[in-house]
Amino acid sequence: MQESRLEKTNSRFGRRTLVSAFLIFVIIPATILFGVYALDDRKYYFISLLIILYTMLPFAMVFEKRKPQARELIVIAVLSAIAVAGRAAFFMLPQFKPVAAIVIIAGVSFGPEAGFLVGATTGFVSNFFFGQGPWTPWQMFCFGIIGFIAGLLFRKGWLRKKRLSLSVFGGLATFVIYGGIINIGSMLMFTPTLSREALIATYVSGFWFDLIHAAATAIFLFILSKPMIEKLDRIKLKYGLIDR
Amino acid sequence: MNRNGFAGYHPLINFVYFTAVLLFGMFFVHPIMQVISLVSASCYSIMLRGRRAVRFQLLYMLPLLLAAALFNPAFNHAGVTILFYLKSGNPITLESILYGISSACMLITVLIWFSCYNAVMTSDKFIYLFGKLIPALSLILSMVLRFVPRYKDQIRRISYAQRSIGKDVSQGNLLRRARNGLTILSIMTTWALENAIETADSMKSRGYGLPRRTSYSLYRLDNRDKGFMAVMLSLIIIVVIGEVNGENTMRFFPSVQTAEVTPFSILIYAAYLGLCMMPVIQHMMEAIKWKSIASKM
Repeated sequence: MQESRLEKTNSRFGRRTLVSAFLIFVIIPATILFGVYALDDRKYYFISLLIILYTMLPFAMVFEKRKPQARELIVIAVLSAIAVAGRAAFFMLPQFKPVAAIVIIAGVSFGPEAGFLVGATTGFVSNFFFGQGPWTPWQMFCFGIIGFIAGLLFRKGWLRKKRLSLSVFGGLATFVIYGGIINIGSMLMFTPTLSREALIATYVSGFWFDLIHAAATAIFLFILSKPMIEKLDRIKLKYGLIDR
Repeated sequence: MNRNGFAGYHPLINFVYFTAVLLFGMFFVHPIMQVISLVSASCYSIMLRGRRAVRFQLLYMLPLLLAAALFNPAFNHAGVTILFYLKSGNPITLESILYGISSACMLITVLIWFSCYNAVMTSDKFIYLFGKLIPALSLILSMVLRFVPRYKDQIRRISYAQRSIGKDVSQGNLLRRARNGLTILSIMTTWALENAIETADSMKSRGYGLPRRTSYSLYRLDNRDKGFMAVMLSLIIIVVIGEVNGENTMRFFPSVQTAEVTPFSILIYAAYLGLCMMPVIQHMMEAIKWKSIASKM
């Protein structure tokens, strides 16, 4: 009986992951096109904000509908709290933050959905300490998506629980995904028009910040990934947490 | 925390108000509307945060305004009134400068509104509002908010214990210290995870996830809240009607053109001013009332 229940949860989990992936990779580009062609071209920030919120909505809905167990909730809360505390601990060093590293570890250990939730929650809650602003949804989305992709790639077997593999992925993901998206967000906050030159200028001015952030993620993953993943695996094994 | 004035109203009212002023602040490009919003946001933030708000606005917002105002004309060369040419041959136009100023105003207006939001919409209000709608996620939020100070406390305890065996971050050479720091973090993480499972089991044994769960609510929508809500909603509706009729907008390219000032548009401006100033007006009225009561005594 135990076996069959496990199988059932496995297939359900797979479908949910598929739905989430579909929403992220198909629906969002469609919305962007809709924003560019059908809506008034001026409200880029507003449209992008909608897309960002819209992307996070399915995760929230799926998660709520599933009626998650207390144990699952609390593990997500713990990881997120560690990430928030980590961001607070390194407040003196701009961009040198362990948040992305912890989010990636969460995604790898507990799956794409947990990775997304840890990332988004961290982005949101840490801004209760650092101040909410128009950047909050962007940070939530970027951290969330990094956790999601880490979980997905780990499922696929492309990402392994090895220090080097995680560090390389973490550095690249932070630089390309986080930097790539967050810069668009800050450009749209700054100027409501889209232009290639402005985007390039934003990327150039953000280059060193993104590089420091990426390096921080890689370094933190190099140091933290092994002990953290060991601990999480031990907890999972000991208490039979979140199906694998 | 801040529980007087506007912050003392029901969280729903706080949230609707900030959603409205933030969205309107992002949307309306008409100069009068922008000035109304910027001035009201500044007034309110000074009222809420005093000298700190003034410093924040002068030290951060003013340079940001200038930077954003310069950023736009450097990359946007549309518009018919050419002022001069850059070395690269691109023209700098009056329209793009005005557009830059306008969008910079919008940015700092939104940021100042957010600084007010942070002072008024505390996390407990947010969780209260969304607890019914997204119970699991708001539970996570409140847990994370509680865990952060708790972990800090726990780190201190672990650090004391480690110090007594000579393994604190303040002992040994640099490498030693770093290693000791990591050990402390590792102990903390293990403790956090074990403690979390215990908390979860305790939650489960007390019936978490059972249907018909009641919740503890601090807030009550009383008559004062309803009155405020009615005024606020009617002002919002008037402003939205204005937006639908194109009174709140402005064209920048190819040439500058604002919506004309008519009696109707003046009504819209007045409604918008009223809406943006609601917390300030409310606070003043409270102060006057208090003075008159105090003087009678």
